[in-house]
Amino acid sequence: MDNLYLADTLIGRGRRMGAREVEVYIQNSRNLTVRVRNEDIETIQEAAAGGVGFRVLVDGGMGFSHCNDFNDRSLNDTLERAIAFARLTTPDEHNRLPDDMPHQEVEGLYDPEIARLPMEKKIGMALELEAYAMKDERITHSSGASFGEGESEIIIANSNGMLKTYRSSSCYVGVSVVAEKGDQRHTGWESCSRRFFEDMEPLEKIGAAAAKKAYEMVDPRMVSTQRAAVIFDPAVARSIVGGIIAAINGERVLQGASFLKDAMDEVFASGLLTIVDDGLRRRGMGSKPFDGEGVPAGTRTLVEEGVLRSFLYNTHAALRAGVESTGNASRGGFTSLPGIGTHNLYLKAGPHTPEEILANTQRGLLLKGVTGYGINPVNGNYSGGASGFWIENGQISHPVQGLTIAGSADDILRNIDMMADDLDMARSFTAPTFRVSEMQIGGA
Amino acid sequence: MSNNYVPSVSMPRRRFLEMGLKGGIAIVAAPPLLSHMVSCSGFTANVGPGLETDKAALDRVIAKALKQGGDFADVYLEGRILRQIIMEESRFRSGLYGVSQGAGVRVISGDKTGYAYTEEITEENLMRAAEVASYVARNGKSITPVNIAEGKRESFVTVHKPLEDIADSRRIEIMERANQAALDYDPRIRMALIDYNDQVRSRVIANSEGLYLRDELPLLFFIVQTMSDDGTNRHMSRERISEHSGFELFEKDTPESVAERAARESIAMLDAEDAPAGTMDVVMENGFGGVLIHEAVGHPLEADNIAKGIGAFTGKMGQKVATEVFTMVDDGTLPNFRGTINFDDEGTQAQRNLLIDKGVLKGYMTDILSAKQLDLHRTGNGRRESFRHIPIPRMTNTFIEPGENTPEEILADTRSGIYVQSLSGGSVNPVTGIFNFTCREAYMIENGRKTYPIRGATLIGSCMGVISSIDAVGNDLAFGPGICGKGQMAEVTAGQPTVRIRGINVGGSRG
Repeated sequence: MDNLYLADTLIGRGRRMGAREVEVYIQNSRNLTVRVRNEDIETIQEAAAGGVGFRVLVDGGMGFSHCNDFNDRSLNDTLERAIAFARLTTPDEHNRLPDDMPHQEVEGLYDPEIARLPMEKKIGMALELEAYAMKDERITHSSGASFGEGESEIIIANSNGMLKTYRSSSCYVGVSVVAEKGDQRHTGWESCSRRFFEDMEPLEKIGAAAAKKAYEMVDPRMVSTQRAAVIFDPAVARSIVGGIIAAINGERVLQGASFLKDAMDEVFASGLLTIVDDGLRRRGMGSKPFDGEGVPAGTRTLVEEGVLRSFLYNTHAALRAGVESTGNASRGGFTSLPGIGTHNLYLKAGPHTPEEILANTQRGLLLKGVTGYGINPVNGNYSGGASGFWIENGQISHPVQGLTIAGSADDILRNIDMMADDLDMARSFTAPTFRVSEMQIGGA
Repeated sequence: MSNNYVPSVSMPRRRFLEMGLKGGIAIVAAPPLLSHMVSCSGFTANVGPGLETDKAALDRVIAKALKQGGDFADVYLEGRILRQIIMEESRFRSGLYGVSQGAGVRVISGDKTGYAYTEEITEENLMRAAEVASYVARNGKSITPVNIAEGKRESFVTVHKPLEDIADSRRIEIMERANQAALDYDPRIRMALIDYNDQVRSRVIANSEGLYLRDELPLLFFIVQTMSDDGTNRHMSRERISEHSGFELFEKDTPESVAERAARESIAMLDAEDAPAGTMDVVMENGFGGVLIHEAVGHPLEADNIAKGIGAFTGKMGQKVATEVFTMVDDGTLPNFRGTINFDDEGTQAQRNLLIDKGVLKGYMTDILSAKQLDLHRTGNGRRESFRHIPIPRMTNTFIEPGENTPEEILADTRSGIYVQSLSGGSVNPVTGIFNFTCREAYMIENGRKTYPIRGATLIGSCMGVISSIDAVGNDLAFGPGICGKGQMAEVTAGQPTVRIRGINVGGSRG
């Protein structure tokens, strides 16, 4: 049966079963993963999968159910379950499904070429990538390389007349290697994900980047506990930016569980900080024509030169806040209810090269790796494990690992004093290199 | 070229899936019909999924999987019914009911693994999955599979009040009681988030060694988060209980008691001050602090990275790796525990595995593949999140054996440092052995006494460093439930008595 027809039929059925509003979310996907290690295939996994999620409203109460069986009886039983659950939950005037609003198309979400590539080519790429990463003699072991691809078709339909679909694809390669020296082991990992196969980075470049991350950490030295500048490499920006995004989640703000709950239109960060969420970028990994409940995606400035300009909302949180949805309903597939998330998020580039920032840093940490949860969105507390390079007199002195860094979001965000120009727009959550003038570093 | 908005080309499901056909590998779904092999009786009200399978058909699938070559093949069928109810800010936000079913076929040939799964369980689909999985074994040596026969495994889970007999209104009542108890605890508790989860998972495992097993395990997971706010500070805390159990779990540990434990922490942490930075001694209270050894020692002892020759404990079997007071065990047989499995997802009987005995490395945790690669016994640690994943070595219930000291003695004997009472979680790089974990509730230790609370700090170290720095182990072993991620999720418990670690790096914001 045609899935659009099926979605429409199920909405009618839900209404007849007693639901006031019905949403049907259908997802079908296919994925392939090839892993190689030590010049041979390690695993090949392939699967096609699909399922249906039902969100229903009965007297203001909401119920949700899902199943991965398209059998008619299963679909009916699952729909009935959602309706039964909706009768149990608390009525909430903000439980509404979005209206059917026209959306803008996004160019380049689906590449038919990926599925047409022969299996041998995909295995060959993973093998080649591993070979490039193993080329440097300081690299002693391979943890494996992989090629992956996926495609999915999403249908969102609701009883307000919405019936929308889009198809998307992606492919990726990744490799992980180890540099061993005596009792020391250091890992290096690099990957590349794209919507279109032709946009993949050269394998040699990806392999070399993974190798460098591993061997450049050999022979780390400890530094003493002190306050010093910290330069955040693009790879670790998420530990700072992720906390801001969680703190402007409209639902969290309404619950009072955010350190930015009262910061709208206030200066809360350095003037160098501008954050934009763009759902419509051509071939963007996070691009989509509409969000997880069918509301058109758009482009939105969240933070403008240090001033908070927008919270993120889905339909429920927006109704509760008395505003319009910002088209930021996220969805983890047909098994999940809409949450709140971003599309392609970037921190705007600044005027400096990363080299200039390094040269202007007397003493500090060039941060390449972090562990921990980043900024705590509830109270703004930040503490994490850190590794990278120690800087003396504007130059890299030696690798460091086993350090900690900490501070409050307020201090960290206001102390961003240099922003670089090395923004990689091919990633869906991305930032340039930036410097925080001073943070607490824990060491020996 | 724009290709995104394509209602005109919206495909029937079948055609869409056929797009997977390429390069000699094909997996396509048959028309959606409930199979004769698996009938999920649970689709109507209040019945668990009962998987019934046709052994002769499974034999045919296994034979097909090994037709091109290979040393081993298995078929894994799974059905799951799950419920989740969420209460936020005293309102029932949503109720969720989900059904999922599927089956995967795996072929192992030397060090290679081929895997494919299908969500529509028909013999036709399983035969196609077998063909895809067998790709890795082309030109490999071949074995003749043994016809399957029902096997027996000991069970460590007993259920008194089955989840399928419980009306949803009783689940709701449990949540309301927890919410009320949290709000009644103190006026500064502004909000409670109650997350009720239960599921019944049915498994059927059949393999080329002739094994055929089936079982059904319930799992309850109840989480209370509370947020305090006194106008200046805010703290979100979390308390969780989980067991393979029926509804009787809430008689053992009442919803009120779970909520009060969360609320207590929320209020206590309102007075938190900045944590200090740098290297200091740490006393970890008993319970889920066990996540420390789960991360720092447990993951590096999973045999997959050892088989690759890159794990932090590679080549250290039989060597002294920790202090004499340190003995560590992984045990998948603890009655009804969240990490208990009866048999793993490859059919190996769960057991108690001694990993480190008085400081000496005694064992790794294996699955079928890594056991074969390392010439070790199968330890019953081959686990998978669902039929969508291949089994890999995972922990079950992992803990430090109790020692001699009372927790009071350990604290009194610690001049200064940090007392960690609860953790948010942690992670480890199993190759380098560098781990981190983040404190949620912690206090300064001054002159052998717990003093003021400190804000959530990250603690970091290396696995070899930390186990050779544990110099006191208490007699108060306790456990906490966890969700462990390693590319795929597994339910585990982590346990420990109160322990002291000398010299660990603390990420505070105070110099």
